[in-house]
Amino acid sequence: HFYLYEKVNIIHLHFIAQLQEAFAAGLLKPGMNVLVDKPKKLVNNVEGLKQCLADFRKDLPWVERLDLTNLPAANIISQAEEKASAPAAGELDADDDFQREMFFYRQAQATILEAMPLLNRHSIATKRPEDYFAEMAKSDQHMQKIRKKLISKQMIMERSEKAKKLREQRKFGKKVQIEVIQKRQQEKKAMMSAVKKYQKGMTDKLEFLEGDQKMNKESSQGSKKAVNKKGPSAKRKYKDQKFGFGGKKSGKKWNTKESYNDVSGFRAKIAHGKGGKKGKGGKQNKRPGKSVRKKMKNRS
Amino acid sequence: MDQQPSADREKLPGRSISGKWTNKERVLIFSSRGINFRTRHLMQDLRTMMPHAKADTKMDRKDKLFVINEVCEIKNCNKCLYFEAKKKQDLYMWISNSPHGPSAKFLVQNIHTLAELKLTGNCLKGSRPLLSFDPKFDKEPHYALLKELFIQTFSTPRYHPKSQPFVDHVFTFTIADNRIWFRNYQIIEEDGSLVEIGPRFVLNLMKIFQGSFGGPTLYENPDFRSPNMHRREMRLAAAAKVREKQMVKEMQKGKKTSAKEDLESDVTADVFLTPAEEKPADIQTEAPEPKVVKKKQKAFKRQRMQMARR
Repeated sequence: HFYLYEKVNIIHLHFIAQLQEAFAAGLLKPGMNVLVDKPKKLVNNVEGLKQCLADFRKDLPWVERLDLTNLPAANIISQAEEKASAPAAGELDADDDFQREMFFYRQAQATILEAMPLLNRHSIATKRPEDYFAEMAKSDQHMQKIRKKLISKQMIMERSEKAKKLREQRKFGKKVQIEVIQKRQQEKKAMMSAVKKYQKGMTDKLEFLEGDQKMNKESSQGSKKAVNKKGPSAKRKYKDQKFGFGGKKSGKKWNTKESYNDVSGFRAKIAHGKGGKKGKGGKQNKRPGKSVRKKMKNRS
Repeated sequence: MDQQPSADREKLPGRSISGKWTNKERVLIFSSRGINFRTRHLMQDLRTMMPHAKADTKMDRKDKLFVINEVCEIKNCNKCLYFEAKKKQDLYMWISNSPHGPSAKFLVQNIHTLAELKLTGNCLKGSRPLLSFDPKFDKEPHYALLKELFIQTFSTPRYHPKSQPFVDHVFTFTIADNRIWFRNYQIIEEDGSLVEIGPRFVLNLMKIFQGSFGGPTLYENPDFRSPNMHRREMRLAAAAKVREKQMVKEMQKGKKTSAKEDLESDVTADVFLTPAEEKPADIQTEAPEPKVVKKKQKAFKRQRMQMARR
């Protein structure tokens, strides 16, 4: 902002010639004259538009045109939630994608609901009979692609749901396991300290023995039963199979009757070839010796 | 999957007699050179959807627009949809009633073609559409004129030889944000469940002319900003932001490096200072005695517990 010391006159003139004429005529006043563009006049020839429409309009029966003008059908969802349905009242927000598309959808719905009785009256069908085969706008191949895509989307969702559930289950199972282990450890600790105390003469009561013994027997048996039902886990089984049971050696290199009689590893060429050239012929990839390399280097 | 339509037409339940095709509307759909794949597919889709449409070769942009009227006459078409691509980015669509009638120019945006996998509906090729308009079309004279143009162009004439007698899809034209949104839905159930078929696009009105591809301007859209201006504005805004940031940085730099004023030394600052009295220097000649630390005697835990019990 700058402080204006003189009055500013705004002039709607474009050309210097006009400016000169205005000066001659005495229209220009002293002070700062600012040149501004004329506000653009946009054409809106309402009369012309109406005339044009009247000329251009074709009075066709409705059956030829099949057009309808209507507001969208009532929004059931928003009514159920008792939200204020703003689009019904006034402006539709073009940026809210979901709202906008629902608006278009409901407009089409309202059209159909209004048009059905009219179509029936003019005996125009909307459903084609089962055996009517005709070319569709999208080819069958394309529809197959669409179907596959939808199915794959569904499968992905299902898989992710399953994975989530499994993860939750595992977490929960882990929690329970940890709790059980901790409980057991605490009991053991309590027991040991009680025994120690008795041994060192700090307490002379022996009640802890009976109570713990009863509880321990029952709980240990109960937990063992639960664990043994499933046996070793899949991971354990796999590791046993791979690394064996620790003690016994692999025993794959023993000379048994079967291994002696097994001639599948016999290659006649190699057996009768008298150990000639190795696979390709040794020298193909062989690196030249030090003196040869030196000579090559000196030459280049 | 094709069938001889004429043979079946007499057997159809909805049709008593194959009628005469009286409403002779033919639409010429073609484009200029330099269109991209999306525009080409959109044109093909429109030709699929409208059995009363005819195709033509690409027109050179050097020719003036009124040449199109002659092309239409040659092809015996009375409506025209002409797609013009500029700068390989912007697509303009002309819709016009060929010999005398009004014409309109639009900027086309947000094109989605029939081939998109998210548009899952399907309809008979050449079936007649229902047209659905927003009530806002009746409120303004220019929209009313556009509505009439759309009705005459997009509705398939009854008993057209290439058309199918069923009505199984709806075209919707809605006005939102000063633009016209076009959607195409398939009618699945008669109670109103719909699936979108496509194509879909948005039309931004520029001008309406009294003649076909020319003539006096009847209406100019005040809210229309040409895509060039739009891009320029974005660039200017970005540039202005960068310049502002730089200015701020420079100002801060200036502040740091500018000479700071020296605070004048206060003459009266040391008026109330009184120096402390001098203490005699104390020199220690003998080392100090070592401290004796007494250890506390605490009883062991067991003993403490016994004592506590007692």
